[in-house]
Amino acid sequence: MKQAVRNYLVFLWRSGRLAFVGDWRYYTWMGVLSVFCLLGLNAYAKQFAQGLVVTGMSDEVSWGVYIANFTFLVGVAAAAVMMVIPVYIYNNEELHDLVIFGELLAVAAILMCLAFVTVDLGRPDRFWHLIPGIGQFNFPASMLSWDVLVLNGYLLLNVHICGYLLYCRYRGQAPAKWFYIPFVFIAIVWAISIHTVTAFLYVGLGGRPFWNSAIVGPRFLASAFTAGPALIILAMQVVRRVTASAPAGDTSRLRGEGGESQTPKSRAAALGDLDLLAGHLAELATIPQEVRKNILTGAMVLEARAGDVFLRQGQTDKESFFVLKGRVVVKREEGGRFRITRSLGPGEQFGEISALAGTPRTGTAIAEEPSQVLSLPATSLHKLMASPRMNKIIRSRMSERLLITDRALMTLRSIVQVSMLINVFLLVNEVFKEFYSGNLHVASAKYLFLGLHGYHALVPWIWTAIGFNLVAMVLLVLPVSRSLKWLNLTCVLCIVGIWIEKGMGLVIPGFIPTPLGEMVEYSPSLNETLVCFGIWAFGLLCYTVFLRMAVPILQGRLSKANEGQPEFGVSGAGGRSAL
Amino acid sequence: MPTPTSNTHESDQSSPDGLSRRSFLRSSAVLASGLAALAASLAPLRHLNDFPSLDQFLQKYYKELTPEEMAKVLKRIEDEVERQYGLRPHVRDLKPMNGVEFVYALNLTRCIGCRKCVHACVAENNQSRNPEIQYIRVVRLPHGSLDLEKAEHNYSPEQVPEKGYFYMPVQCQQCKNPPCVKVCPVHATWQEADGITVIDYNWCIGCRYCAAACPYWARHFNFTNPSIPKERLNLDMAYLGNRPRRQGVMEKCHFCVQRTRVGRYPACVEVCPVGARKFGNILDPESEVSSILRTKRVFVQLKEELGTSPRFFYYFDV
Repeated sequence: MKQAVRNYLVFLWRSGRLAFVGDWRYYTWMGVLSVFCLLGLNAYAKQFAQGLVVTGMSDEVSWGVYIANFTFLVGVAAAAVMMVIPVYIYNNEELHDLVIFGELLAVAAILMCLAFVTVDLGRPDRFWHLIPGIGQFNFPASMLSWDVLVLNGYLLLNVHICGYLLYCRYRGQAPAKWFYIPFVFIAIVWAISIHTVTAFLYVGLGGRPFWNSAIVGPRFLASAFTAGPALIILAMQVVRRVTASAPAGDTSRLRGEGGESQTPKSRAAALGDLDLLAGHLAELATIPQEVRKNILTGAMVLEARAGDVFLRQGQTDKESFFVLKGRVVVKREEGGRFRITRSLGPGEQFGEISALAGTPRTGTAIAEEPSQVLSLPATSLHKLMASPRMNKIIRSRMSERLLITDRALMTLRSIVQVSMLINVFLLVNEVFKEFYSGNLHVASAKYLFLGLHGYHALVPWIWTAIGFNLVAMVLLVLPVSRSLKWLNLTCVLCIVGIWIEKGMGLVIPGFIPTPLGEMVEYSPSLNETLVCFGIWAFGLLCYTVFLRMAVPILQGRLSKANEGQPEFGVSGAGGRSAL
Repeated sequence: MPTPTSNTHESDQSSPDGLSRRSFLRSSAVLASGLAALAASLAPLRHLNDFPSLDQFLQKYYKELTPEEMAKVLKRIEDEVERQYGLRPHVRDLKPMNGVEFVYALNLTRCIGCRKCVHACVAENNQSRNPEIQYIRVVRLPHGSLDLEKAEHNYSPEQVPEKGYFYMPVQCQQCKNPPCVKVCPVHATWQEADGITVIDYNWCIGCRYCAAACPYWARHFNFTNPSIPKERLNLDMAYLGNRPRRQGVMEKCHFCVQRTRVGRYPACVEVCPVGARKFGNILDPESEVSSILRTKRVFVQLKEELGTSPRFFYYFDV
């Protein structure tokens, strides 16, 4: 136990150090975010000293842009499950690597949510009154107490799942299923619950007819599953871009130092080579000698010099490979750039996805140094995987691959597509019910969409949101959004549209007019806006740090194997050279 | 085992001595400027209005205080008020009386919309004058309609009442089924045995969920430290009633617990020049409110359809 904690701390320490290392782009980005964080902190210090009077809120509109952002971000956090469901329930391999990124986004979003509720409190010094067991926790009557539980629970779940999977990857061991799969399924249900509970926060208030509508919960989920994956589509492309190792066309890098690339020399494999592999791959040692002989049919050993190429992206051959000696990197060309997706040492495998699935190679494998590699035909791989232990280790390694394919982004696109259609449909339902019945309770909706008694601060906002959502919906339905350029535009429209519709467009009109019919408008003050920017910058800072820690581990560039060696300093971002 | 470096960068820490000194200096400089920026951004905290003392910070929940602890708390509050205003108040912890349930009845036929109740309430209950917090809002409605959408809040004629209008004062309705109590995440507000919904101002965290839940706009928030002129301070105070509040907490009408729990009328009842306001114990069949609710053919509970079941009844002389 003590050892496990120590190991985990070493893992955190080593990956955490990476957050402070990067190239000039990284430093600029982090520097800008830090400046915004400090501006936000400064604005919050003012609010802390003088009270919420420095915001635009009033007795009439007693919640504002803090709670609006909170509501939006709970949705973003909940949307992480839209990556998890396809992977764990439908075994979608393409999305596999994105799960961790999605969950890390959920962690960052929840941290922002907690920050937004905290800055909204009039007496943050009394936060301990909210701690179950120590304070007075009004559970289950108050929906806010539910929110405290589900948000913190969701944070813990995601921290555990991400932390454990990354830690296992770092240690080079297969994750124990019982230690994370149950939590994955709990997290799926939990994600739905965090957003439902947040919707119930509003729905439960009979005195606010604008919120007191059963459709708010489903609307929240639909808009969350639109904006969340849209955000992930954009974030993943940024990750893909900054982890690209060299611009496309720089082929000399791809071929290594020695000019023209060579195909490695090969010879037939012998039992001794399998023994060598078993030294690095304990599971292989359990395979009996007869089976090993059987496997050797068609197996070769490739003797490669640095820069030799084992397989090329796009080819459709069917060998799979195990590294015996040396080191092999896998690079992938995407969007005109090459990105190192993996770096492999002895005992590790590559090329098995194409061997098993018959799909084209997704990357190019190059010897980084003089290496010896065992090549197995697909039939041998199948024989090897007949052993349950081998099967388990090979499959689990396959699933830990860092791969952001365009196809994965397109899967997310179809999620956004369906969710946006449902979202717009639900909005139409709401608008119809409000306006067609035309009873007294339509006042807030009238204020929001058309303006009321000469007050119309929200009208331009909501119509912008509706315009964005409709354009995004049309783009999503058209094939044009299959191209990344259009898809990115669509995602931006979705995010902005939903942020307005669900944040300001839901929270503020609930207060206008007041329950006594008074018209008092709200607009955030400068101080309040700075606090919001600060929290968003803080969230982006957290997410950047998380990615900074996770990407090298997923690429196999930071692992137990290189513990105690000089830190390599940077991930594939091509970072700072110390000299 | 080889270091997994790519071609695009070299490994860190290549020449140990020179590098470590340089990087030490550099990280110290970065750390120092970071801390300076942090300190600068926290500078506004020097003007903190209301930093809680340790006793205030650790004060237990109202219902968990023993009588001895309560006595200490009351003394501490008296000290605090004296320090702030230079006058020593008398702060009591008044409990509900047995066999009493307060209700309020308001005669809409009589009310002339003079707002005397609004100001008497502010004076009695030590509300902040700047910004001014009022527990009672009187609205002007056109004859014949109780639709609050048509309410005029800022009427200011030279003389009330005006032809063609009637006036409706709204304050905390002391619901039997109060939404504000249900939603409070920390039990900082609750309903007492005599029907009054009170707030522990030392327990409220200021989330304002109760303000969102209240259908009567009865809950009011201290957006900044309340200010009351020293000479206006009402020194007869109750813990759950009119003692001065602090920044960041909620407050509302509490039927003047500092008066009604010792057998006096609320300030708004006393001040009303036309006798529109009636207050009493509904459990006593002889009380004025009991007889009003028994004999009037029509009375109104505001927003009855919400199921909040107010203890505040509007009635008419027919």
